[in-house]
Amino acid sequence: MTIEGGYEPGDVNVVDDEVDEDGDQGNQAEGGSATGVLEYLARSLADDPDAVVVRTEDRRGSVVLRLHVAPDDMGRVIGRRGRTAQAIRTLVGVAGARDEVRTVVDIVDD
Amino acid sequence: MAEGMTLQEQAEVAREFLEGLVERYGLDAAVEVRELDEETVELAATGEGLGILVGPKGATLAALQDVTRAVVQRRFPTRTDRILVDVAGYRERRAAALRRFSQEVASEVASSGELRALEPMSPADRKVVHDTIVEIEGVESRSEGEDPNRYVVIAPTATANVDA
Repeated sequence: MTIEGGYEPGDVNVVDDEVDEDGDQGNQAEGGSATGVLEYLARSLADDPDAVVVRTEDRRGSVVLRLHVAPDDMGRVIGRRGRTAQAIRTLVGVAGARDEVRTVVDIVDD
Repeated sequence: MAEGMTLQEQAEVAREFLEGLVERYGLDAAVEVRELDEETVELAATGEGLGILVGPKGATLAALQDVTRAVVQRRFPTRTDRILVDVAGYRERRAAALRRFSQEVASEVASSGELRALEPMSPADRKVVHDTIVEIEGVESRSEGEDPNRYVVIAPTATANVDA
């Protein structure tokens, strides 16, 4: 896949290997279904779904999911007064709860 | 690109999105599309284990609806139709309970002659109350206050002010 916009060559630690938008591969890092749900939500909202990248990190009992999207898609993912971002956090939280992990979603402004 | 897109096309985008999302939770749902009026469509998901997508007091369902609307809006930015999402019949059960409650309050108001102000509610819930009260003789309803604290007042017909 091509990585567009703003990504350093050093960014090799990308969770996203999939090309098929319906594929479930490549999401098996910590946070399993939470990562899959977050990627799906972000890709569905983005004009540039290929730019959506989620990186996960364990932090004392929580999984931090860092969401990167194309700069032009930031507004869409956040929504008016953060409403869409809040909804995303709720839905990712539910997925995490099923796997008994607490999730934190960081929407990263690259 | 969005010009002339129909409500059905929007519903189709919403349905595909919801089915895909449910799958990401490892669940399976059938999503039924119901056109409630010419600018309102409801997507009702049913299936095993979908309760997690309703959440406490419907909070997860509200999030699901927000995101679904945002997804549809991206594709159809010029349309302002209303997309409703229901999961496991939650909205329907809630509406039924709200109708029963409204009827109880209406009969109290009718017999006591004193108006009652209800708790603040969403526009959708207020509509359920208004639609129920309009069918009952001797009482009227109106909304007062500003969202998100807008609430319904049920009053005896004689003293009710005119309002929407």
